[in-house]
Amino acid sequence: MADVILNVKNLDISFKTSAGMVHAIRGIDFDLERGETVAIVGESGSGKSVTMKAAMGILAKNAVVNSGTIDFTYKNQEGVYGSVNILDKDKKWLRNHINGKRISMVFQDPMTSLDPTMNIGKQLVEGMLLHTNMTKEEARAKAIRLLKEVGIEDAEKRMRQYPHQLSGGMRQRVVIAIALSCDPDLLICDEPTTALDVTIQAKIIELIKRVQKERGISVIYITHDLGVVAKVADYVNVMYAGKIVEKGLVDEVFYDPRHPYTWGLLSAMPDLDTDDDRLYTIPGSPPNLLQEVKGDAFAPRNQFALEIDDKEEPPMFQLTKNHFAATWLLDERAPKVEMPKELRERLDRMKREAEKYGN
Amino acid sequence: MAIDYSGQPLLKVENLKQHFKVSNTYTVKAVEGVSFEIYPGETYGLVGESGSGKSTIGRSVIRLYDPTSGSITFDGTDITKKLTRADKKKLRTEMQMIFQDPMSSLNPRKKVEDIIGEGLDIHHTYENRAQRDRLIKDILAKVGLAPEHASRYPHQFSGGQRQRVGIARALIMNPKLIIADECISALDVSIQAQVVNLMKDIQQETGAAYLFIAHDLSMVKYISDRIGVLHLGHLLETGTTEEIFSNPIHPYTKSLLSAIPEPNPIVEKNRVAESYDYKTSGIDYNQGFNHHVGGSHYVKCTDQEFAKWA
Repeated sequence: MADVILNVKNLDISFKTSAGMVHAIRGIDFDLERGETVAIVGESGSGKSVTMKAAMGILAKNAVVNSGTIDFTYKNQEGVYGSVNILDKDKKWLRNHINGKRISMVFQDPMTSLDPTMNIGKQLVEGMLLHTNMTKEEARAKAIRLLKEVGIEDAEKRMRQYPHQLSGGMRQRVVIAIALSCDPDLLICDEPTTALDVTIQAKIIELIKRVQKERGISVIYITHDLGVVAKVADYVNVMYAGKIVEKGLVDEVFYDPRHPYTWGLLSAMPDLDTDDDRLYTIPGSPPNLLQEVKGDAFAPRNQFALEIDDKEEPPMFQLTKNHFAATWLLDERAPKVEMPKELRERLDRMKREAEKYGN
Repeated sequence: MAIDYSGQPLLKVENLKQHFKVSNTYTVKAVEGVSFEIYPGETYGLVGESGSGKSTIGRSVIRLYDPTSGSITFDGTDITKKLTRADKKKLRTEMQMIFQDPMSSLNPRKKVEDIIGEGLDIHHTYENRAQRDRLIKDILAKVGLAPEHASRYPHQFSGGQRQRVGIARALIMNPKLIIADECISALDVSIQAQVVNLMKDIQQETGAAYLFIAHDLSMVKYISDRIGVLHLGHLLETGTTEEIFSNPIHPYTKSLLSAIPEPNPIVEKNRVAESYDYKTSGIDYNQGFNHHVGGSHYVKCTDQEFAKWA
């Protein structure tokens, strides 16, 4: 069932600030199929959250969409599949038809995304009463069912409690239950586990995976944790300075990364077998997008940068059916550059470990 | 730098208890009888989930709280009792803290030079303005910031740079012990690596000891010489990094280690994290006492449990 549910084409967004225009998103394309999980990885400021906010139609007021379309395909009231360009619609229409109903979002910090003055039950039924024709009793019954589904015990009692009475992991479960309340087609998780502990993170990820499998919904995962990506994603987009620099199936990107930025990201994360004395760091910091970037945005931080990187932006080179990377190193005229030795060794180690699972 | 384990420990925490009385009938026992030692130049990592009491230990050690019972000896001085003026001065200069969130731990209305120089101002450790400026410039250079950053405000910095300011503020008093409370949790992966490298370099240079509090085990493994695993206020397992990671004994430690997601898709999708639930595990931490596993590796459990796990 390979129908595309979300199609982002050539998205380009700037923000008007007192210092000038900040060119946050510089041409992004990606597809999301039904039931699939896509991860978007990148440093803070790379534009991953902005992309998702655009998909939800909740961009800040000072955002200017320069070009692009975001086509979202869904079943409308009559049960017919149709698609809309989210960027064409106004906020009011989106609020009534899309937000919370067909696309819902789980935010990073469950303390700030829940209303501290409203009890859990009220927050859960709010969306259902607004978007569906359910009666209060039906909505309440469904809310209790949802709380049980996300693994909260004595749901009836929790319905009357307030967010501050719950632990961090519980709160995030409630946020997920709220996101699922109107049976959305697409769930966007913006760093859902960054504020949580590893043990709780593992449980929340399991929960999201289970819910996705049971309901067959699509999930977009925004994160900077490559370990989480490895666990959940089918498909990965690596973003840098408002562009996707490498994309592909999760196995392709992790076992055969081609972009120097992806090399850097993978190297910077200590795995439990690293014995080196120093952690690898990507030198420098991301470019200031107030100034127009000439050439490859990553070139100043790239030890493998070529002369052409300063002059012209690299196109997307296709490696396999799904695997693309935007770096001049893949051009046939480029010198042959191998990834750093340490990373090569580490990937080999990873592959050996993966072989144990018979893949 | 080789760490001398034969000499006097820099910090010795013995049977520390920290209780908070919430009401007449309810007391939160945040820390229940924790003992550990930190030697000069060493990094001791404290790991555990939120609510395990790791931050409370950090705060008790630097005496932001008055410990309920137990003793804390820092550099030969008992700092659990009421502090004399001299003790206080020693404690406030030789022990420093780096906090988790660099945005909320830096005063937004002060310039970086005043934030960093505040300790100098309070303890009058400079003779004139020029010397103060020089000290601040030196410390900025050490943490990888430029001298012109001194006259800027915290909001003008990125997250990683702000955390460098936090480190500079701790370093300027030439501390012997730095308590780093989740100091990299709020940063991006690539920035985390930069800050951790910086902390390692500084340790090489100054010989300061770290109490590194974190929940991210992969970073803790990377920076620590020894690790203590904390859960519900009890120190369940302690030992060198090698000992803990290659031979975890306690089921909680095992579950903690297996919860770390690795950047290896095929392995991750097949692996099932070990789960651990204190309530259903039948383990009572209060019954346990320290069992020696080998080297500096200790586990807190009862005799039967030890026989079963080891």
